[in-house]
Amino acid sequence: MNSPRRERRTADPALSDPERLYVITGDPDGSERAQLDLVTMIVAQAQPTPTVQPEQAVILRLCQAPLSVAEISAYLGLPFSVVTSLLTELLAAGLIESRAPIVRATLPDRSLLEAVMHGLQKL
Amino acid sequence: MVRVESPPIDRETSVARAVLLPVLLMGGATAAAAAVVSAAARIPVVWCGAVATVAVVALSVQLARRARDLRSQRAVYERRFADLERRIATHDDETVRLSKELLPAAIHRLRVGNSPEEVLRDVVDADEMYRELPDAQRTLVYTVLNIIDNEEAMRDSAQRAFVNVARRVQAIVHRQASELREMEEHHGRNPDVFDDLLRIDHGTALIGRLADSIAVLGGARPSRQWPKPVPLFSVLRGAMSRILEYPRVDLHSIAKVAIIGTAVEPLIHACAELLDNATRYSPPQTRVHVTAVEVQTGIAIEIEDGGVSLSEEARARAENMLARAQAGSNMNDLGESPRLGMAVVGRLARMYDLQVSLRQSAYGGVRAVLIVPRAMITTGPAPGIAHGIGATSRPTSDIDQEAMKHVVPARRKPRTPVAQRPATGPVAPATRPVVPAAAMEDDVPVVTEWTAGGLPQRRSRGRAPLGSHNLPAQPADPTAGQRNGYANGHANGHGPGGPGGKEQPPGLWLEAFTNAVNGVPQDPKTDEDSDDAWDKGDLK
Repeated sequence: MNSPRRERRTADPALSDPERLYVITGDPDGSERAQLDLVTMIVAQAQPTPTVQPEQAVILRLCQAPLSVAEISAYLGLPFSVVTSLLTELLAAGLIESRAPIVRATLPDRSLLEAVMHGLQKL
Repeated sequence: MVRVESPPIDRETSVARAVLLPVLLMGGATAAAAAVVSAAARIPVVWCGAVATVAVVALSVQLARRARDLRSQRAVYERRFADLERRIATHDDETVRLSKELLPAAIHRLRVGNSPEEVLRDVVDADEMYRELPDAQRTLVYTVLNIIDNEEAMRDSAQRAFVNVARRVQAIVHRQASELREMEEHHGRNPDVFDDLLRIDHGTALIGRLADSIAVLGGARPSRQWPKPVPLFSVLRGAMSRILEYPRVDLHSIAKVAIIGTAVEPLIHACAELLDNATRYSPPQTRVHVTAVEVQTGIAIEIEDGGVSLSEEARARAENMLARAQAGSNMNDLGESPRLGMAVVGRLARMYDLQVSLRQSAYGGVRAVLIVPRAMITTGPAPGIAHGIGATSRPTSDIDQEAMKHVVPARRKPRTPVAQRPATGPVAPATRPVVPAAAMEDDVPVVTEWTAGGLPQRRSRGRAPLGSHNLPAQPADPTAGQRNGYANGHANGHGPGGPGGKEQPPGLWLEAFTNAVNGVPQDPKTDEDSDDAWDKGDLK
């Protein structure tokens, strides 16, 4: 990641929260993260139960429709690793299901894309 | 003493009276002897008798005078004695008054912040009872006040030094924490680095709590200010994040209230100390349970551990420590190996009207109950009602749901086959390599429906109203799509947080792909790597 140094966000105390990320992640040592990447799609399998963490409840609500891990991470404003460990717990509990994004083979064929192109050109 | 002597006439008569009897006796004896003896011896006898009588007279007069002087002197001494006794008694009274009334009043005034001179003027000179205080006592009072004043000044400066150092440490820790948070964002995709960062973060938070404790014991208020109300759940998690064994803490049924900004930091700190106590003095495999319920006077936060129960003496000692801290003990009371926790909690409780009590828990351990007064609670919506660090997550998601409602019917159809896919397809996202950006561009536009205009409808765009799906296709302005999407987000109520842009639904990164599909030249920032792309919301 040697993109130009990202501009430092000025730490805004109004936006910071009292809790630190490790509280949400849980025990950092014991957790083995599930293999998820940014584009893995997540679908909730159940409604949030009262016992799950608030963040996990939000994930469950967000993922009523499939959503990528990257999007979940962005919506929650949490780093990717935090989201994956939350998702790992949910996966272990069977509350969500993950699946790889559609690979190229399952994409619509060339004719469809051409149709898209033509449709766009008509605009 | 002239005044105590009797008048001279009385004195003379009393002397005469005292002299009379021996003179008469002597005279009688002389006369009798003169009558008895022969005529020849009469003359000498009479002479002898006369001489003896005179001697007796002289002696008697002298004796009587002595006796009288003695008496008068004794009277004088008795009077003086009584006088002295009275004075001693008054002195005693004065001393008692000095120690019981004057000095406490003066020291109280001194503590309030007056200088010794002012105190002397106000307490001693203004009160007629003390106005004629002897100089020595006055000096005594002044000296005592001066010494106390000096000592207080020294202690104050020592405490200020403590607080000063603590403040510096706090400042460093805060900066460190925000930097760490930044790094956590930055390295969020690298789990190994991320976990290490979390460990450092945790250690930093522990240091921060110690610095806070020192500041509180130094008599300062917690420095950190939270400008807005914070949900109680976040407050408790904040407390959890400052203790060593946070994974052992369970939060159950936390009342959905928010704590006003000024009370957040002390509450976090007090809870952190109580949680630390609970985790530290209970077996490592037990859990610590935290509940927060509303009670008449506010919110009762109960922290129960499964440790050994406090014996009655230990409980008394702990409560005593709490009480002493609440009464404002100084640092000297903490002893050599200070158990700071209770002292800190007691101090915070005194400063902020919290009530703390330690009881026996049903789990066998200790149950600490912290009652937060109603004045600290606000039931109004906290900013970012959501719990947790994703403070914006709840509103976004709520609105998101709302926004999705009118989209969902259209999306049900495509969703069903998707949901079934895992049954047939390989559910092996695990081994899937990270797709290069170029491949992902192809992957993303999943065409599932067709609009009336002959355009495919992407499922991922479901969040936007149906009508807007055509819009990104206008290639005139490279940023049109983004702006448009942003506007849509607002139209859907996505961004309640104003124009800051942080609330822009970060899912709009897909716009970049849309643009790419449309052949629109890309904003260089968005196509560098997908990390930046999905982090875009933060950059704005």
